Amino acid sequence: MKKIEAIVKPFKLDEVKNALTKIGIQGMTVSEVKGFGRQRGHTEVYRGAEYTIDFIPKSKLELIVPDELVTQVIETIERAAKTGKIGDGKIFLSPVDEVIRIRTGERGRDAI
Amino acid sequence: MQFELGITRDGLKEIKNRMAQGAPTHFSPKELLRQYSDIVDGIVRKTFQKAQSSVSAPSVCLVAVGGYGRSELAPYSDVDLLLLYSSPQKPDLPPLIEKTLYPLWDLGLDVSCSSRSVSECLKMAQSDPYVKTGLIDSRYLDGEYEIFRTLYELFSKKILHHKVREFADSLMKDVALRHQKYEDPAYVLEPDIKEGKGGLRDFQIGRWVIRAKYKTDRWDSILFPDQSRILDRSLQFLWALRNELHLLSGRRLDQLTFELQEKIAPILRFSPETRGIEEMMRQYHLSSQQVWNFASDMLERVLYEPSPVKKASSTFKRKKLDPFFGMSYGEIYLLDPVTFKRDPSQLMTLFKHCQTYQAKMSFQTEEAVLESLPFIDDRFRTSESVNQVFLSILKKGERVESILKMMHELGFLSRYIPEFAEIEGRVHYDLYHVHPVDIHSILTVEELIKLKTATYQKELPLLTSLIQEIEKPEILFLTALLHDIGKGLEGDHSKVGEELIVQIGVRMGLSDEDKRLMAFLVRRHLFMLEIAFRRDLHEEGTILRFANEVENPDHLKMLYLLTFADIKAVGPEAWTPWKNSLLMELFLKTSHFFEQGKGTVALPKKEEVIRHLLKLLPPEIVSDYEEHLPPQYLSSYSWEEIAHHIEMARLLEKELLLVEWTIEENARARVTVCTKDRYGLFSKITGSMFLNRLNILEAQIHTWANGVALDTFKVEDSTRDIERRLQQFRIDLSSVLDGTAFLRTLLSKRQEPSIIQRKVIPRVPVDIRVNNQDSQFFTIVEISGEDRLGILYEITQALTDHGCDIHFARISTLGNRIVDVFYIQDEWGEKIEERERMGRLKQTLLNRLTPGDLSI
Repeated sequence: MKKIEAIVKPFKLDEVKNALTKIGIQGMTVSEVKGFGRQRGHTEVYRGAEYTIDFIPKSKLELIVPDELVTQVIETIERAAKTGKIGDGKIFLSPVDEVIRIRTGERGRDAI
Repeated sequence: MQFELGITRDGLKEIKNRMAQGAPTHFSPKELLRQYSDIVDGIVRKTFQKAQSSVSAPSVCLVAVGGYGRSELAPYSDVDLLLLYSSPQKPDLPPLIEKTLYPLWDLGLDVSCSSRSVSECLKMAQSDPYVKTGLIDSRYLDGEYEIFRTLYELFSKKILHHKVREFADSLMKDVALRHQKYEDPAYVLEPDIKEGKGGLRDFQIGRWVIRAKYKTDRWDSILFPDQSRILDRSLQFLWALRNELHLLSGRRLDQLTFELQEKIAPILRFSPETRGIEEMMRQYHLSSQQVWNFASDMLERVLYEPSPVKKASSTFKRKKLDPFFGMSYGEIYLLDPVTFKRDPSQLMTLFKHCQTYQAKMSFQTEEAVLESLPFIDDRFRTSESVNQVFLSILKKGERVESILKMMHELGFLSRYIPEFAEIEGRVHYDLYHVHPVDIHSILTVEELIKLKTATYQKELPLLTSLIQEIEKPEILFLTALLHDIGKGLEGDHSKVGEELIVQIGVRMGLSDEDKRLMAFLVRRHLFMLEIAFRRDLHEEGTILRFANEVENPDHLKMLYLLTFADIKAVGPEAWTPWKNSLLMELFLKTSHFFEQGKGTVALPKKEEVIRHLLKLLPPEIVSDYEEHLPPQYLSSYSWEEIAHHIEMARLLEKELLLVEWTIEENARARVTVCTKDRYGLFSKITGSMFLNRLNILEAQIHTWANGVALDTFKVEDSTRDIERRLQQFRIDLSSVLDGTAFLRTLLSKRQEPSIIQRKVIPRVPVDIRVNNQDSQFFTIVEISGEDRLGILYEITQALTDHGCDIHFARISTLGNRIVDVFYIQDEWGEKIEERERMGRLKQTLLNRLTPGDLSI
């Protein structure tokens, strides 16, 4: 099992979610996050004063998938989230040791 | 809780597996859907009854909707339920829903449930087409039957057959939106069996329309028996594919990915290997075409039926076109339904009218065309009047592509030109050819029409003006339509196609001159592209040989136009500015050759070059260098460029390496590298470029007699960050050359194995050809194989290890296939001509390129 975290542009969230549902992904966790990468912050001028916007709002998706789905899920996110411009986001992949569904106590694959 | 249902999650999986093995899913796919639906029915009923008995249940009814309502449940489809109650007041349902759904979820079923009252349902069905279609397919499962009966009666009486046109209109909008999404080439290669164009959803659309309009669930009853048989076979095939997709992937996956294409083809008993996949995909394309024809036909029947008001007034708007056809509201119709039977040649006239009056045909007329397809026989195909009308349609040059599409969709085209049937739906199992051959052929005509109507005036002015000069455009369009006609049969498709097009030309009664021209174009339709993309256009011999084959300027023009349209119609990424400039260069050089007469394009004399250099550089410098410059080098660059190169070379006394570049269009650059020649220099350069994601398109490599290496490259960076990448390339190359860094180390960092498995895509076999005929001074090595990171570095390294000197390289990428061409000599500056040495060279390259060998 693997955990896939994807940071995407907020307006791409729906598209990514729909694309994932289409390939049979049934659950994910979504949160609103802020951060910056190569895109950096930018400065905006408001009534003569300069304000630096350091952190740019993004959406983060987290999902746990069985190993054999990793390639397809990543490809799907890449395709759906891509605009080709700076700030499209990143995808992180990490191993997951165990998953437990609290209500039933199911473990592993069945609990995903 | 699971034990109480008498089934567990694993048990359910087991049932699915048994179904997959036991009942051959591909012989009766629909049967499998029904069987599985019955099993789920049992489970759902039992759960519901248990739930009802354990909570104080109000009087409700459980209904199956959607695909489950139709008893068509693929192994991992959604199970859609509706909990129906009669009272307007919402009873306390959550405990009942919880007790029903949780056990089903725990079994791994994908269940969704909505709860509504009868009146809510009816109200929603009036405004929401999705609720409406859900109810069309609803089926009673358990609970209070009366409630279901009330709903269904009211629904049938008050909603289903009302506002049919609005209903069809909203379905049509849904279709357009959905298809637009799946137009992306990625989805054409890996189609979605359910949602894509001609998918299972489209079939339901057609069925719903029939249900609403004709009040029957027997969709086959309103089609001709032949039609419904073909449609049924197509559906069975799509269902079979979908069942296998679900069973193999273990989830609700409807997209036929390459990986699953490879797995499913043998299960459905297609021939082994790539051919089987291509056969399966052909059947898929033909089937989805049938389904889409059905759905669009049904929608049109409703959408384009004149409303009663219009009907009454339409007598005034009618216009008689000739003794057989009339027109009203932009639609052409038959005056007498038996016309085609009496005189089939009127079929062609009908298409001509559609073009002339920019009209569609009424759906009754379409039906009449379908019905009269059997009358199209050899007499029709050889009839002079029919063929003249067909050619005049082509000649007119407007809307030709839409008329051809119309002919194609109605099945007329493949009756009229039976050879065309063989290429229908035929696909290549690769990443480059997006469309099936028939679609590609029509798109090729479309591209020419776009040129003709000056759509590309801005970006392609030369081609746009050339097509206006063509004397008989109809012959060019006809050839474009048939250029790949040989792909339906075994053998080299250009040669087979040549025979077929002559045969077609004879049947159409074309002149000998036209037939000869068409034969030439089909036989040679890949020739210009091969020369432009794989040969050194600086070599005089290349142009000479090309010109001799093409024979005259008219042939050249036609071939250039056809080559353009052919590439453009392959897919959105096939035509690139780079290919455009290569083809244009070849066209212009060859035209000049024809204008000036044969043999006058000679290599510039060395003395002449020196004379020009003396105007640009001080005489002492010119005399320092003139003896070192090889003739091949002199003929490859202009005097200004040579002068500049000499200035660069002079700096080598102080500098190790000089790299200069000019950037074109943001993404491509021309890079000049000047340094002292050394062993493996070229592969060090390509390695450093690869390291910086610079994609090499072309390379010219020259070594002067004084040991100065002067190489020029055309490179590309798809991320549009080329300036930064080139800067880094210069730094990397110079540290590799001065020994502070090792390319091997840098590359291995880049090639850290990823734990992500590679996506399955069509494989490309390695093919290596050694050619000693096409160039006077060089052996040409043509390598085609699967593209992967750093492949060019590996090839050049292998050539260097073999003691070869690379003079010129041209690299093209077609999807995931590369075709790399190298002009080489051995260490003594000779061609490699002995059979044994050629064999060894091939073997070295083959060893290096065989997949799996990623050693650097």
